[in-house]
Amino acid sequence: MFSTILSAAVVGIEAYPVQVEADICDGLPQFCMVGDLSSEVREAADRVRTALRNTKFALPPKRITVNLSPAHIRKEGTGFDLPIAAALLTALGIIPEESVQDVLIVGEIGLNGKVRSVNGVLQTVMLAKELGCRVCLVPVANVGEGSVIRDIMVVGVENLQELLECLLSFETCKKRARIPEEWKEKRRMHTEDFREINGQEAVRRAAEIAAAGMHNFLMLGSPGAGKSMIARRLPTILPELTLEESLEISRVYSACGLLAGEEGLVKTRPFRAPHHTVSANALAGGGRRVKPGEISLATRGVLFLDELPEFSKSALEVLRQPMEEGQVTISRTSGTYVFPAHFQLTAAMNPCKCGFYPDRERCRCLPGEISQYLHRISGPLLDRIDICAETSRVEYRELTSLVENESSAAVRVRVEAAQRIQKKRYQGTGWQFNSQLPSSAIRRFCPLGNAETEVMEAAFEKMDLSARAYHKIIKVARTIADLEGSKRICREHLLEAIGYRSLDRKFWGR
Amino acid sequence: MTSRERNGIQYIRQEDADYPGKLTAYSGMPKGIYVRGKLPAEERPSVAIVGARRSDSYGNETARRFARELAGAGVQIISGMAWGIDGMAHEGALEAGGDTYAVLGCGVDICYPAGHRDLYEKLLRCGGILSEQPPGMPPKAGHFPARNRIISGLSDLVLVVEAREKSGSLITADFALEQGKDVFAVPGRVGDALSQGCINLIKQGAGVADSPGVILEALGIDEKKNRGKNGEPEKFLLAKEENIVYSWIRLQPVTLEELVKKTELPVRKVMQILVSLELKGCIREIQKNDYVRTD
Repeated sequence: MFSTILSAAVVGIEAYPVQVEADICDGLPQFCMVGDLSSEVREAADRVRTALRNTKFALPPKRITVNLSPAHIRKEGTGFDLPIAAALLTALGIIPEESVQDVLIVGEIGLNGKVRSVNGVLQTVMLAKELGCRVCLVPVANVGEGSVIRDIMVVGVENLQELLECLLSFETCKKRARIPEEWKEKRRMHTEDFREINGQEAVRRAAEIAAAGMHNFLMLGSPGAGKSMIARRLPTILPELTLEESLEISRVYSACGLLAGEEGLVKTRPFRAPHHTVSANALAGGGRRVKPGEISLATRGVLFLDELPEFSKSALEVLRQPMEEGQVTISRTSGTYVFPAHFQLTAAMNPCKCGFYPDRERCRCLPGEISQYLHRISGPLLDRIDICAETSRVEYRELTSLVENESSAAVRVRVEAAQRIQKKRYQGTGWQFNSQLPSSAIRRFCPLGNAETEVMEAAFEKMDLSARAYHKIIKVARTIADLEGSKRICREHLLEAIGYRSLDRKFWGR
Repeated sequence: MTSRERNGIQYIRQEDADYPGKLTAYSGMPKGIYVRGKLPAEERPSVAIVGARRSDSYGNETARRFARELAGAGVQIISGMAWGIDGMAHEGALEAGGDTYAVLGCGVDICYPAGHRDLYEKLLRCGGILSEQPPGMPPKAGHFPARNRIISGLSDLVLVVEAREKSGSLITADFALEQGKDVFAVPGRVGDALSQGCINLIKQGAGVADSPGVILEALGIDEKKNRGKNGEPEKFLLAKEENIVYSWIRLQPVTLEELVKKTELPVRKVMQILVSLELKGCIREIQKNDYVRTD
């Protein structure tokens, strides 16, 4: 007897429909699985057979063939266990064929029939809705992420028994379906706050400007000055996630299995801080089974690279393209994968190898070593950093100070206001933030008056700026003006932007 | 044309007319000198400015300033093109549009240290590169003390800007004393390792150089006569808040953070003022968010 169940495969972060077909007929007892399967999918045969037996449904000694079509997509992962079990039960006549129409099933099964979580349930349910399914049966651990999609019934099943009950009775299905939560605009739940940072006025200000315009940001300073602390708190001054942004992040997290057990969509901006030994694949995405990398896990949030010069050149090289395009494209023979990568880059580094330059009492580096240290960072990467600020040594007095520092919430209000201005300004264009403007668009969106042009000319000469630095400064000045609510870019805004300008190679070791 | 001539390298032997007259007075001087660019002019005053390689910004700025003012008064600056004080002295002289010469511990065609490539090129245009070593000879530790005798030999006096207790620049001072020349040292702060060498020299009788004027006087150059080139030191026109910030900036570097605390102005205002001061030429940013006065 023949049966077919709808399921899905997750490739990269996309879900593709997969038909699980089962056929039971007379012949030598055999359980054969076909359809370009990876090894863990093939193992489903044994898992399902044992699980069914333990749930009191022994498979008859007949010839069983299971096909996962279309046969040209490689099937990976363990999510096919459950639909295969369902297909077999249908082929055996235990489940009526009408019951499995317009139902999408995914899940892994343990030997005792218990259903385990799988990756990519969010996009799977979205796919089910697109295909016009009424019901989606998923592992109970994944029901939180699945149920955020409206207009489709999502039921979490804990074991094979429950699967059967749901498929046999639509009423039971409806009763067990999870009610989707309302998407509330204000759902922030951060544990860290800007209030906890004492002193460091310059870097706080620089961080605020970076957040407002989504500028890439570099902190310079001796070890222990608080660079990581400030980086960690950057997401707390960024605006609340919109539903769209959350969906983008959640799809990536779901595909990596990071949403299992959580309730619904990602609510806070991601903060990713890979160690400097990270490989290019882990950073950008890829690997044998193409998975999203750190930059995609940081999309709509912050990617923090601590000890920037310690990162391998090859790892940093892969950042360039995604930083331009906001997405990363990975090409393989099996196909092309596109993952979102709208991250804001924050980096930290010491001024020299020992970290204490220019304190000559403590710095033991030779002058040549100091300029060499900066040269380890890829020039093109430095080019994409708009803002640079130095953290200073915190004095004891400051550390134990009782002064009230500004909270994240207070800073966020200003950042949100500045971002609203940018949204309005760039409506109709493809850009969202000042940092994204190409140099060709700067004249249009950031016009300068006479006094301002004079300042830029003086700076260009005196500080020996490159054309790229010139444009970056103007963009940052635009953000500073937005933070003040000023329509025009004034002289003061430019002066401040010049002060926070990014490093120049020549700057070092003099 | 030999390859040497093609590279613009001259070899001046002791018996040639062009051989620096100042060197002939002493024994032990090289039989021949390789030159790229020019030789220092005999009739003009020359000062050797030497000091520590791992200098700090106080030493750097002082070397630069002294060199600038001396060169502005027509003095030729001679040094070793090393990291630290040497390099700063050359830079200062070039800033004033003066002539400056470097004596290397390797062949004149080799730029050592490699990081001074730009400086090396400028020296070729505005002065010269000299060496006792033949072209192609790489730098060796033994060459450096030897070249110091040439640096001191070519100058009328030696100025040590910053030196640790055991510094190579003290060797140059020793040679100067042997050659009967005056040695001057810039005093620093008591307790600073980088000032100890200079302090020791002063204890042994070196002149105290607390301003370029002291050196000019020792050379017999009338400061006022040569004021024309320098002009009166610019009185910067500063607004009230700019003055507040400027008053806290010295030759020792001060950070943005410190200025914010001391002036109690909001950080964005301080940053604006600092950049404005930098554009006016009153201060210099030697390191990210670290500032010093320019004179």
